[in-house]
Amino acid sequence: MASAAPTVSGKRKLCALLVEDNLLDAELVRHSLEHEGFEVDSDVVQTEAEFRARVTATPYDVVLADYNLPQWRGVEALDILRAEDLDIPVILVTGSLGDIAAVECIKRGVTDYVLKDHLTRLPASVSRALEETRYRQERARAENALKENQERLAGILASAMDAIVTVNEQGQIVLFNEAAELVFQCPASEAMGQPLHRFIPERFQAAHEEHVRKFTAGAATRRRMGKVETLVGLRANGAEFPMEASLSRVETQTGKLFTVILRDVTEQEALRRLRQRAEETLSKKAAELTRSNRDLEQFAYIASHDLQEPLRMVASYTQLLAERYRGKLDDNADKYIGYAVEGALRMQTLIQDLLAFSRVGRNGSEPKAVNANLAVHEALQNLRSTLDESRANVVCDNLPAVAVSRSQLVQLFQNLVGNAIKFHGAEPPQTRITAEKADTAWLFSVADNGIGIAPEHHDQIFMIFQRLHARAEYPGNGVGLAICKKIVEQHGGKIWVESDLGRGSTFRFTLPDCGSNQDGLEKT
Amino acid sequence: MRRPAEILLVDDNPADVGLVCDALARTPYGSHLNTVSDGEEAMAYLRRASPFSEAVRPSFVMLDLNLPRRDGRGVLAELKSDAGLRTIPVVVFTTSGSLRDISRSYELGANCYLTKPGNLNDFVAAVQALEAFWVRYAALPD
Repeated sequence: MASAAPTVSGKRKLCALLVEDNLLDAELVRHSLEHEGFEVDSDVVQTEAEFRARVTATPYDVVLADYNLPQWRGVEALDILRAEDLDIPVILVTGSLGDIAAVECIKRGVTDYVLKDHLTRLPASVSRALEETRYRQERARAENALKENQERLAGILASAMDAIVTVNEQGQIVLFNEAAELVFQCPASEAMGQPLHRFIPERFQAAHEEHVRKFTAGAATRRRMGKVETLVGLRANGAEFPMEASLSRVETQTGKLFTVILRDVTEQEALRRLRQRAEETLSKKAAELTRSNRDLEQFAYIASHDLQEPLRMVASYTQLLAERYRGKLDDNADKYIGYAVEGALRMQTLIQDLLAFSRVGRNGSEPKAVNANLAVHEALQNLRSTLDESRANVVCDNLPAVAVSRSQLVQLFQNLVGNAIKFHGAEPPQTRITAEKADTAWLFSVADNGIGIAPEHHDQIFMIFQRLHARAEYPGNGVGLAICKKIVEQHGGKIWVESDLGRGSTFRFTLPDCGSNQDGLEKT
Repeated sequence: MRRPAEILLVDDNPADVGLVCDALARTPYGSHLNTVSDGEEAMAYLRRASPFSEAVRPSFVMLDLNLPRRDGRGVLAELKSDAGLRTIPVVVFTTSGSLRDISRSYELGANCYLTKPGNLNDFVAAVQALEAFWVRYAALPD
């Protein structure tokens, strides 16, 4: 709406609608206003219809209406403005108006009335009317904004997931939202006016008071409570529950208000306890494992030294006996000494194999991407004399890189190919090594045309010191496949055999793919 | 002709001392084998302390690791940090095949690490090879 703003020349603009049948009077009215510094932009109407048309088309600052018009009374302009929901002040400008009529007009909402023979009063009356209108409109706007804010706040309070409780300086609850009703299981109507203590277990009340006292004395107006310790709340039914809370303070004209925003953390607390218990169990298990690993290392050292030494004495000196006294005692003595030597030597290899088995993965370096082709190549080099002696043929596909330490991968292939050759049948040994992708792992196969393994022994062969044949037939301690199994399983893989007697064997195992990481590819 | 080598064997096991002695007796080098049975004695010998004031500086030392009183690791550490003794080659000759013992010994300055073979023939061969290497082939200070 155009308002009576000062113009550049210091004049105030005024957009006025005059309801007047006497043009001379209209001119006088305009003149009286301009004389007092208004820059008047005005229209003049006489009939109700004209008035309605004008007033809805132009935003006037003021309506100046004659009280007595031939067709209608100017005071009826008020009804039209009200009907059109227009807040424009109406001042009656009239030749005469009795006291009773004047009172009636003011009652109906006319801002003021000015007699035509006192037009000098008009500018002041207009100024006041404009002032009042502006004030009224600003107030309405402020009230609207306030109402909107209150509605928004009420919406937030109602939909908040957290309980929100406000108490006044006397400690009485003055706000209790829906979430608070749920958390404390108490309707707001019952909570309002109650002391906050009602919702705090008795044994925590002193601590809570101290908390609030410190907060009140401190400079901070916001604080998170119970960051270290979880607070305890009390439901209306007497049940206690853990909660987290933050506190804020607002100073109003009527005193301080404290607002607590709190959350029932029963579930989180239960989860936290559960996790804590799990972690405790885990760390206890880890400590046990560390201790047991240490024991195992100690045992391995004892085996490698303390057990070996006396055994070596037995072996060496029975051998010395056999050497120096052969034929000097009787035949039985030579035989007995031979058995003793053999037993001692076998015991030595058993201990060494056991140590090798226990060492798998313990002194190993971090697995890098290792090219399996190179590992097979190295394994075959190590088996060179065996391969030549048995006229074995080993075929190897192009193999992928896998995330296993190089020495372990070499040992894995060496043990499997070594077995394939050792347990050959009538035909010269044929071995084929292949690999195929299986999800994120590689499935390797080492297939031979050897003597095969009966299905009932397929699990047994992977256990340490398990043998299916007499030592004289096939030498060995039965540790090779156990080591293979340990290597594969340490890398999260599986190993098994597919075989039947007389039909050759295929050993299959999975190893993790090294991903796209080929940077660490080891060269041998 | 070089004068015969002086070998100091530090070992508390008379059975092993016997085998080493036996092995060396069958070689053409005529090395002198001197034996002590613990770490304290070994250091006294090397420093010609009583009762070893007449001791001859060894060409090389064969040192067992697990010894009574002061063990082989202590002897090795002290010997290799002694300016007057550190040029004497030390061969660790022990039952232990533990990787930890092996790397620790080399860290302490051992010149060679040999695990005593469990088989008599291998044992004798190892001792004889050792003697041949240090006495016949290796150049020594002095």
